[in-house]
Amino acid sequence: MDPLAWLASALGLPRWALRAVAAPLVYPGLLTFMAVALFVIWAERKMAARVQMRVGPLYVSRRLGGALQLLADGIRFAFQEIIVPVGAEKWSFILSPILAFTVASLAFTMVPGGPGVYGFRSSLSLIAAYAILSLVPILVIIMGWASNNKFTYIGAGREALVAVTGEATLLASMLAAAMMYGSMDFVSIVEEQARSHVPGIVANPVAALLFFIAALLVTDRVPFDLVMGEQEIVQGPYTEYTGILYALVMALDYLKLYVLMLMFTHLFLAGWAPFSDPLLGSVWVFAKTLALMLFAVFLRSVYGRMRLDQVASMFWSRLFPLALTAFALSALIHPVYAQP
Amino acid sequence: MLERSVDRRRGGHRSRPNVVKAHLDAIATAAKRLLEPPITLPYPDYMEARPPGYRGVILFHYEKCIGCSLCAQICPARAIKMYRVPGDKRLRPGYNVGRCIFCGLCVDICPVDALSESLVHDKVYEDVPSMDMDPVDWALWSRRVMDEERSPEKPLLRARLDPERGIVYEEAQPASSGGEG
Repeated sequence: MDPLAWLASALGLPRWALRAVAAPLVYPGLLTFMAVALFVIWAERKMAARVQMRVGPLYVSRRLGGALQLLADGIRFAFQEIIVPVGAEKWSFILSPILAFTVASLAFTMVPGGPGVYGFRSSLSLIAAYAILSLVPILVIIMGWASNNKFTYIGAGREALVAVTGEATLLASMLAAAMMYGSMDFVSIVEEQARSHVPGIVANPVAALLFFIAALLVTDRVPFDLVMGEQEIVQGPYTEYTGILYALVMALDYLKLYVLMLMFTHLFLAGWAPFSDPLLGSVWVFAKTLALMLFAVFLRSVYGRMRLDQVASMFWSRLFPLALTAFALSALIHPVYAQP
Repeated sequence: MLERSVDRRRGGHRSRPNVVKAHLDAIATAAKRLLEPPITLPYPDYMEARPPGYRGVILFHYEKCIGCSLCAQICPARAIKMYRVPGDKRLRPGYNVGRCIFCGLCVDICPVDALSESLVHDKVYEDVPSMDMDPVDWALWSRRVMDEERSPEKPLLRARLDPERGIVYEEAQPASSGGEG
């Protein structure tokens, strides 16, 4: 018997309600994200260390190569005092990171984690997930404003610019994919790819590449880590945060990265395509998402940071027109996926 | 804008590298480096063998001292001060490691070689007062440091520059600081 159905009957809840709670909280949501973040941040530090011929985290759990370092950090953050600066707007300061994290994790209700593993299935789930994610920058700007600090102001300004710049390209490449499949529903997008045996990255590599690059920008990854430019503006909008609130804002970008890479898996890598079993399919989706995230964090050891004006001009004058081209390309590719 | 006009004045455009190839090269280079072992000395588990003539903490041999106080006079950081020791007619030097700049002037000026340089630098002290030692403490502490030098707790490694592999570490034998004879 299906465990979800059994749990629903045991709790006396309708099945859809349980689904809508389980998706953002368990898989692909927060519980999975915790494990992913612990692993990915550790892997990021370890890979950057290896490329620079260093050792990286080691002394917490030496046998695992320091894999529990992040857990130790997390426990320390949990017991640290939360300091609210005197000049800060107290409630906006405290609530905005919590709200940002909550809002970002709500995207998991829309993005499926495997065949039949989703919160809601809607014909607009692609746009809905994107809309939820695009609320996060507003809260980051509120964080920067509420902290009442020069560095956070500058960081908030950068966040505003980066969000507008990145999300234009992100949305254009996302719509190119939607155009290609003729659908905005993740489930039917994956089904189209499974049916035609052509993953989206082969059909429209331009849109896939642009989606990936724009995802790097909006999640503040190197080479576009302008918002949290450590050498320039301390921690950007997150400068004044301490304790568990800092852990939340630090995890926020990884959460966005996780959601976006999950979306990338469905849009361009055919999601759970060869499998239709919920468990196997979920594992396959998860493995692809994790591999993408590892590649995204690996780029930290490859690139330096681009300048703000370079990023803006590159995105608006090169990548955004290219995304529109990809959109046009999708119209030509559409017959591949169109129903016979 | 400026760059473009400069290029035009030179009469011809600069050859640009192939962008796609450059990115792929960068990623491939980093990926290759990912597989190479780290060259960091695993420090607390292995110690680096110090070269002869290394200027570590100063050691004091009480039985050789004649109490001339030259060391205290020459010390530029005033790390050495003369103390009165109960039961001793002469003043003897005491040592504040926290002030020491490891210049070795005291070792050079000592007429009877009662001071010597050790090979140890990385000592840990529980608090600031414990870094300030009187003559007897200093002499006893010096003996302990010399014992540690002779039989180090952790294996010693010596860095060597290999033209092909970069920095390589080799096992090294413990060396004595030389100034004890």
